[in-house]
Amino acid sequence: MPEPVKPDWTKLVRERLGEMRSCNQDVVTELAAHLEEVYEEACARRSNETEAMRFALEQVDDWQVLGAEIARAKSEEDSMDHRTKIVLLPAIAIMFAVGLVLLFLDRAEILQRLVWIACMALLLYAAASEANRLNLRTRAVWLPGFVSLIAASLFMFAEEIVLAHDASFYFTDISLRPGHLISGLPRWFYMLWLIAQVLCGALGAFLSRRGGGTRVARLAAGTFPALVMFLVCGFVIPVSAFFYEHNTLVLSHPSRLALGILIWAAVPAVAMLVGAAPFLKEAKLQQA
Amino acid sequence: MTKRIRSKIARGSGELATLSLLAEQPLYGFEIARQIGERTGGALQFTLASLYPLLYEMEKRGWVEGHWQANHAGRDRRYYRLTSAGRKQLAPLKQEWRSFFQALDSLAGVSHA
Repeated sequence: MPEPVKPDWTKLVRERLGEMRSCNQDVVTELAAHLEEVYEEACARRSNETEAMRFALEQVDDWQVLGAEIARAKSEEDSMDHRTKIVLLPAIAIMFAVGLVLLFLDRAEILQRLVWIACMALLLYAAASEANRLNLRTRAVWLPGFVSLIAASLFMFAEEIVLAHDASFYFTDISLRPGHLISGLPRWFYMLWLIAQVLCGALGAFLSRRGGGTRVARLAAGTFPALVMFLVCGFVIPVSAFFYEHNTLVLSHPSRLALGILIWAAVPAVAMLVGAAPFLKEAKLQQA
Repeated sequence: MTKRIRSKIARGSGELATLSLLAEQPLYGFEIARQIGERTGGALQFTLASLYPLLYEMEKRGWVEGHWQANHAGRDRRYYRLTSAGRKQLAPLKQEWRSFFQALDSLAGVSHA
């Protein structure tokens, strides 16, 4: 009877850890040796290669998370870069707050766009320089989520610029008169934006996976813009309409609000899910 | 066999468990995990995923030092040994856990015997 082929643990570990920079050859060799011993010990006890293989692979629930944890453990600095902490993060937070205030006040549209673009550029810069130092949740959920949200917003701004109309015109128009969706420019505006959401979902989930996010984290990062829109449509707009604008139209027509949630949150969430889907899967195990 | 302790609690004890073992002799990763499991009657169990980030973190802090060496079967294994900095950490770490158990004991009647 031919002897069964032993798994190539080094190859398996290298493939599963992917492109993690801190996981050098020494780490791969060490983890592979560990898995090999777990496998051999299981073989000695259970005498079934398939079972032993499964037992060895159960040592790691999520290779992306492990890779990220090792990268963090091996990174030279624990704390965030001084420049990021003192300059970039406060600047991002302030600009984000200013952007939100301008958005809700519906003022200074050009400034709004500039603030969002600058915010996105700084966020990407901070994320690129600090990725290995941030804690897992920030790296795998918040940063990818905000990048995805800003990308979704930028697509909207870009479309409005291309269609040469005031910012938020189409958003408001479609929200208040969903019938406009079936004809003219609003339809194109919405359809193009919806297609862009597939890319935004993919971007969020990809960055989350690269940051070591679990499947749930990737899902949250990929659909983050839809979650924000859900909060805006389902909470911010009714509260704002009731307490500040005293606008009874929104509150007396809950069906329109529900339709707004469907158009701007639920349907985009599906589009984002489509984009995020390829990044929700674990890397396939190649036959070792 | 003792009931296995939930992973979050077990993980918190990882530093003490590993440093205590390495204070006796240099060991490599698999052996550390195996001995922790055996000597705690299976209550503490460290998988590859929970052990190595911890080892690398302690190595970065200078508490342990890893070096490649062939084991008795001629296989290359990365052995970890406790450094003097790691040895200095052990006593305060034990004291910290003692205080922790005492606090839990007075709060919830959890004896650390």
